[in-house]
Amino acid sequence: MRCTRGVVAAVLLAVALTGCASVPSGGRVVTGRPAEPAEQVDDPYVRLIPVSPRPEWSPTQLVAGFLAASASFDDGHKVAREYLTGAASSWNPGPRPPVAVFADRPRLEIVAQTATQATVKASGSRLGSIGADGQYTADPKAAEVTFDVVKTAQGPWRIAGLPGDPNNGLILTKSDVDRAFRTVNLYFFAPDGGTLVPNGIFLPLVNRQNLPGQLVRALLAGPTSWLGPAVDSAFPRGTRLRGLRIEDDTAVVDLSVEARSGDVDRMSAQLSWTLRQLSEITRWKLEIAGDTATPHRYGSVQPVRAWDGNAPDGPAVPDQPAYVLGSSGRLSRLAGDQPQPVLPQAAQVVRPAVSGDYKEVAGLSPAGDRVLLRDLAGNSGFRTVLKRHGAGTRFTAPSFDRSGALWTVETGKERSWLWVRPRGGPAFRVSDWGLSGREVVAFRLARDGVRAAVIVKADGRAQLRLGRIVRDQGSSGLEAGAFLAVSSELVDAIDLAWRDYGTLAVLGRKGNDTRVLPYLIPVGGGAISSLGVGALGVPKTIAAAPGAPVLIGTKDEGPGQVCRQRAPHDLISEWICPVPGSDPMYPR
Amino acid sequence: MNAVRRRARRCLAWLRRLVAGAYLRWRRSIQVRVVTSTLCISAIVVAILGAFLTQQMSNALMDSKIKAARLQLDEGLSTVARQLGNQPDNGSRLDNVMAGLKARSGPSGLYEVYIRDTRDSSFDGYSTNELRVESIPQRLRDELRRAPADATAYTFGKLSYVGRPSERGLIVGGKAGQFELYYLFPLTQDQHTLTVVSQALVGVGAVLVLLLAAIASLVTRQVVIPVRLAAQGAQRLAEGKLEERMRVRGEDDLARLARSFNEMAANLQDKIVELEELSQVQRQFVSDVSHELRTPLTTIRIAADMLYEHRDTFDDPMVGRSAELLQSQLERFESLLADLLEISRHDAGAATLDAESLDMRDLVLRAVGDIQNLAEHKGSKVLLQLPGEPCMAEVDRRRVERIMRNLLVNAVEHGEGEDIVVSVAADRDAVAVAVRDHGVGLRPGEGQMVFDRFWRADPARARTTGGTGLGLSISREDAQLHGGWLQAWGEPGSGSQFRLSLPRTAGAELRGSPLPLVPPGAGGRPLYAELEAGE
Repeated sequence: MRCTRGVVAAVLLAVALTGCASVPSGGRVVTGRPAEPAEQVDDPYVRLIPVSPRPEWSPTQLVAGFLAASASFDDGHKVAREYLTGAASSWNPGPRPPVAVFADRPRLEIVAQTATQATVKASGSRLGSIGADGQYTADPKAAEVTFDVVKTAQGPWRIAGLPGDPNNGLILTKSDVDRAFRTVNLYFFAPDGGTLVPNGIFLPLVNRQNLPGQLVRALLAGPTSWLGPAVDSAFPRGTRLRGLRIEDDTAVVDLSVEARSGDVDRMSAQLSWTLRQLSEITRWKLEIAGDTATPHRYGSVQPVRAWDGNAPDGPAVPDQPAYVLGSSGRLSRLAGDQPQPVLPQAAQVVRPAVSGDYKEVAGLSPAGDRVLLRDLAGNSGFRTVLKRHGAGTRFTAPSFDRSGALWTVETGKERSWLWVRPRGGPAFRVSDWGLSGREVVAFRLARDGVRAAVIVKADGRAQLRLGRIVRDQGSSGLEAGAFLAVSSELVDAIDLAWRDYGTLAVLGRKGNDTRVLPYLIPVGGGAISSLGVGALGVPKTIAAAPGAPVLIGTKDEGPGQVCRQRAPHDLISEWICPVPGSDPMYPR
Repeated sequence: MNAVRRRARRCLAWLRRLVAGAYLRWRRSIQVRVVTSTLCISAIVVAILGAFLTQQMSNALMDSKIKAARLQLDEGLSTVARQLGNQPDNGSRLDNVMAGLKARSGPSGLYEVYIRDTRDSSFDGYSTNELRVESIPQRLRDELRRAPADATAYTFGKLSYVGRPSERGLIVGGKAGQFELYYLFPLTQDQHTLTVVSQALVGVGAVLVLLLAAIASLVTRQVVIPVRLAAQGAQRLAEGKLEERMRVRGEDDLARLARSFNEMAANLQDKIVELEELSQVQRQFVSDVSHELRTPLTTIRIAADMLYEHRDTFDDPMVGRSAELLQSQLERFESLLADLLEISRHDAGAATLDAESLDMRDLVLRAVGDIQNLAEHKGSKVLLQLPGEPCMAEVDRRRVERIMRNLLVNAVEHGEGEDIVVSVAADRDAVAVAVRDHGVGLRPGEGQMVFDRFWRADPARARTTGGTGLGLSISREDAQLHGGWLQAWGEPGSGSQFRLSLPRTAGAELRGSPLPLVPPGAGGRPLYAELEAGE
């Protein structure tokens, strides 16, 4: 009896074991969350593999090989240096060299050759340059450089003289730059002292493991020449990175002793925001000369997502309400898809703007020749705060900054002025305005108050440009300038809004398209992406805010409509236009 | 230094003890042996099995990896052929293809990619992420160069990286026109899987081996315990405890063993009891016969006495002579009968000790006095070696006197007229008397046989004088009754010595004798027999 039971048990066990050894063919459904949105720096990258010069190569082949090899940052350009001899041997581009960016591989031709010497001319179209600080400056022009090539005593040709222009620099093609460089943001403080301003730079991706150290070194080196005058860095001059090591997912940033005189909180905020671009770091610790430095607000190990109070977009506002001009022309607040009028009578303004503290509302007269303002509460009615000064000019849509000052640009054909009206004071013209000779279609100040995005007519095209506001002493010493092109892909932009500190929502045409569509454009210069699908009518204005749906005011035949995406956080979600009204905007 | 050496020595000694102890246990216990060999054999089997399993699993993993890798490579090659085949060469087309191929590479991806344009000599192609081009072994490149246009090849190697440690990997490569495309798959994940599996195997194997050992231990325990019980039973049986039986449980082989053992024990007991009863019957018979013979003998004796008294009155001198003969043989018959009765009393265990405290010297002197005449008749002189102080002992006077008389008579009879020495000695526990003669002595082996019943040194010799042939037997029984020894030593030509050793208190255990069995000065090879009471 016992024996029988044993046999049965053994058979059952064997059946169970064979069951274990196969993959499951059914079972319950297991759900999971999608992976963290990968940062751009985590994308796989491609490295060029250089070759050492071959003895049989001609001078042109040698120069071609050198130009290709200089695109490889491996081992500090070790292979590229094998091409050099004599005076050129001291060439050392280092980890962040200046770069001349060419559209294509330069054409090479020998302009002079003797038995032992040759001069090779490389010519091509230059797109621009990247400075040693990582700032890209577009500067399209035809360029040519020459290389002096000599025959060495051992036989093969070597480069003895490099072109003086990219002194210790590189000559790379656009595809080389796309491959070997990453655009990253460094964060510096705006003059108001609390808000961080991103500073996009091109950083050579020498290898992924060194990237955190490179990033911190770039941050310590300070802002680029473009943003430099407008921002402050909390790091005392001369601060160096002694070492950066990553243990588990905690990075330890060890700064040199000079950092002792700096403000630990402000340095931590800058480092936190800079390091959060790297997915492998979730927490980090600041050390100064080997001693742990603890900020007041967090423990010694700070989460990389800390310091939200210093966010470039300002403190996060959940469920920011949108305002539209309702179908009857009354300023209304959007509750769901329903406009709720907030002003008792119809406003006589277009392009309204509500200040961030919901106290004031501004707008343009329908002709665009006056800027009107009133308190949001009460019955005082609109009053004119700014009249046009030039003939035939008009104002762009006004916007408030965080302090409540109103910004707008008065613009005519090939001329413009920037006007600022501080709260309660008279409006004044900014004396140092970098686009005074151009027509400005739209002007929007970023939420950090330092950067400004404009749509400017240049060379007959509406270009998207990014500039910076330098505030010297007081409010009168303002300078708005250094407007650099953001993207050349978009033509005929008509309106823009800051979606967040790194992205612009722009209405414009791309390439050969005939229709104006909304696009999201990273200000650091990356690929633009179109927003949503489906019919939109004729878009006129766009409004965006961090974490809020992008709204588009359209006008076709008949009354205007305000459109949003059906699923606001889905990039390709369909557009729907359920709100009667026009000129949507978010308060700021 | 010394302390260290001492400690080392102590450690060594401890180790040696341990080994010796283990060896002893190994020798003594079937269980230890079975468990040890089970442990060894099953460990070997499990190890072989584990190695085989791991190998199989590794092969299967690698097979599927290779298959997937080749599919991936084919897809990549077709992409390369499609995109590069019909694009004008503007320097960046390889770049574009690479951008498409890299999508699933990198640390989070499955593989690294390396592509190379064999016609463009200015650079050596592109690789993804940190991959160093040294990762592609020269043998694979050579193989691919020799191979036909659309062939693919794979090998295993080490993938090296910029700025991070290298790892093992699978490298597949193929050609699409002028382009060489390599996919490099890190095998870290597979290695991890294998490690996990082999760790699990080691764990399972260890548990399995221990389990087998435990099973072996249990099984042998089930076998060994009855065997041990049987051994114990047999030992007790050997000690004479005939009632010893094993417990019979179940119907298995061990139960059969127990049953056979029990049957054997029962048979033995039966036989022994039967034999005992038989000897009891024989003893009783002898006793009865002796008793029964006494009555007619008494009558015959009275008649013979009468005849003897009137032997001179018979006319025929032959009749007178016959009457004398009858008288002497009757005396012999009587003493034989008395001896028989005595020995049958001993055999029946009916002999009792009537002990009293006596000086052995007195006993010896009286016994010597009794045989003085006989000795003088034989021409022997009896020499006495007596201690100065009394040799008191609790003895049965009648029995000791009988022993002494027996020994002395024997000594006189076999003494060949030489001197007879009688020694007495005592120590704290025992007294001893030794009777030494210088007669013919004893041949080897006879020292023991002298105490046998009806034993005769020379069978041809007529039993005319003295003894009945039972004297020494009875004497030995008497000595044993006291808890003492009666021992004989002899050597042909040198005479013999009989030694009686008795404990001072009746019934005490005798540990040694105050006198030597072999007389001092007895030359040559001492030939002696030592018989201990109860042996």
